Amino acid sequence: MSSTIIKLGDPTMQESDFHPSDEVSVKMIPTPTLNELSQRLADFETLTDALEYAAKGVTGYNFYDAKGGLRSVLPYRTLKVNAQSKARRLLSLGFSHGSRVALIADTSPEFIELFFACRYAGLVPFAMPIPVNLGSHSIYVRQLQGMLESSGASAAIANLDYLSFLKEASDGLSNDHLKWVGTSAQLDLLPKSDKALKSNTPSETAYLQFTSGSTRMPRGVVITEEALMCNLRGIVRNGLDVNPGDRCASWLPFYHDMGLVGLVLSPMAAQLTVDYLATRDFAIRPLQWLKLISRNRCTIAFSQPFGLKLCALRVRDSDLEELDLSCWRAAGIGAEMIRPEILRNFADKFASAGFSDRAFLPCYGLAESTLAVSFTKINRGIESLKVDTKTLVEKRMAVRVQAEGRKFNEFVNCGRPLPEHTVKIVDENGQELPQMMVGSVLVKGGSIMTGYFNNQEETDKALKSGGWLDTGDIGFLFDGDLYITGRKTDVIIVNGRNIRAQDIEELAEQQSEVRSREASAFGISDSNGATTVVLVVECRLTSMEERQLLINRLQQLVYMAFGVNCLVELVPPHTLPRTSSGKLSRFAARQGFLQRANMIDQLPTASLSGDR
Amino acid sequence: MNEVTQEGILKLLCQRLTGLTKADFEITSETNLITQLAIDSIKLLNLIMEIEDNFDISVPVNALTDVITVRDLADLIYRIKSESK
Repeated sequence: MSSTIIKLGDPTMQESDFHPSDEVSVKMIPTPTLNELSQRLADFETLTDALEYAAKGVTGYNFYDAKGGLRSVLPYRTLKVNAQSKARRLLSLGFSHGSRVALIADTSPEFIELFFACRYAGLVPFAMPIPVNLGSHSIYVRQLQGMLESSGASAAIANLDYLSFLKEASDGLSNDHLKWVGTSAQLDLLPKSDKALKSNTPSETAYLQFTSGSTRMPRGVVITEEALMCNLRGIVRNGLDVNPGDRCASWLPFYHDMGLVGLVLSPMAAQLTVDYLATRDFAIRPLQWLKLISRNRCTIAFSQPFGLKLCALRVRDSDLEELDLSCWRAAGIGAEMIRPEILRNFADKFASAGFSDRAFLPCYGLAESTLAVSFTKINRGIESLKVDTKTLVEKRMAVRVQAEGRKFNEFVNCGRPLPEHTVKIVDENGQELPQMMVGSVLVKGGSIMTGYFNNQEETDKALKSGGWLDTGDIGFLFDGDLYITGRKTDVIIVNGRNIRAQDIEELAEQQSEVRSREASAFGISDSNGATTVVLVVECRLTSMEERQLLINRLQQLVYMAFGVNCLVELVPPHTLPRTSSGKLSRFAARQGFLQRANMIDQLPTASLSGDR
Repeated sequence: MNEVTQEGILKLLCQRLTGLTKADFEITSETNLITQLAIDSIKLLNLIMEIEDNFDISVPVNALTDVITVRDLADLIYRIKSESK
């Protein structure tokens, strides 16, 4: 560690040993790593029980700004007091138990206070995203409306920066559930109810997690207290093997399951301190995250592969000299298909800064299973299998490459399911497949969602008989470990964003020139693994000018809603292939596109997907 | 700080965008960042970083929701710059 790092204060020391180097930070001291409380690893019945215990110690949450300065500190003991106070104010609004409360989730102490305030008040919070895309104003407002309507939220709260969007959204709602819209500060002006705060029961809903950017059909995952605590236990005990010296750092958005469950709720349930950087600040200056890890001696930090790629792109040699990442023991990698090259490249770049590739901790999960499904073993790094491409495509079977020169696909080991969870692989007919055979990944266990809120149709699609959740991912098992080989073609992953093909098609179909079921969206990848979204639309327009205008409009809409560029192809009516039941087949649409575009070399990888 | 004008910001943006996107046409104030320049997320982040460093400002995320053309972006920077004085 260089001397400048020590001067900035080493939060691993006890608070009393901390000597700030300048006037400004005298008042604000980050919460320490070491607690005065004996550690309990998420063995609580409910979230508020967990907070009651954490509040007896000295650890908590710290928020850093874009330049690495400490912006605010929220020790668990303060969080408890503030959340209870806000809970009483929420109660004064007179909502019935289990009413939903929408929170725009920027990386702020207010969001966390409100989240816990809802639980203390017996209300069900859910996080809504912040707008990040150029020109996304009207689409963002529609997305908020979709979530407010689908959840039937009684209250919606945002920080001042986002309040105008929320007000706009609440003005155009089709139902009248929403009774109160305001900021956290405005909530504090309400009277406090004198009703006693009741403790929660394990079977009640803890929160909703929205998983889709659809404006018409958003899906809110319902997670109970019981499911949440089961997953938190799995994460901190089996996944991370947490100990009292651990400290976390995170830039993950609070409105994503990995950001919220993984790096807000899990650390609290194990009484660990967390250092936050806003997602936007990370995206612009990713090295700030690594500096935070280095300076505060953080041991646990998760990222999507895309985040690691950004770090490796931006790092300069001078940065490397300042960094000491030897403290980072668990670099959790999740949330998308893991490409080992990105991880190896990161490890190579940061080896001189003390980063050990054994810290990589690939894991697999999804919001429908609270967060985590499986973890690899700690301190083992990435393990992967090289599988013969031809056998994989033709027989849907994973066979290790034997001879040199054979074409192969490399898949990362995502580890074993958490205790109380089982994973199985099934074929199209739901028949369980033996190991090494590729099929749909199904999960069963204590962390599985109750369903999608108020959406029986989508719930029935995801939850199969016997309590099995269809994850929508394709993979195989080998020696009890899970390997993910792809997704069904209904999700396109671009730069770490998961985009539902259906949501893109829905945007297209909202245009007056496009009829329902005449648009098909899918992803294609180039040889570097970069994915492009393709939207094929059947079009009756004949004027070249009108056609170009439609293409421009569709590209702009997709960008505004999802922040990605998109290739739009207009084709004559009846070009898109349909199944016998008249449904569009994205798989076949993609094959047709690749043939027209003369990209035949991509065809074999297409059949790795499960959608036919 | 008064020497930063709207026109000056616009000129600088057009220059930087030409380098960033390698556009084979002239970028003007009316150029659409999304459909004409196909600014992807990494390019957008690079651009914001350069803007912030160059003008010593912080561009809030919520402000980008009304930016579609180069002029929208220039106006935004000018507004933030004027407010931060």
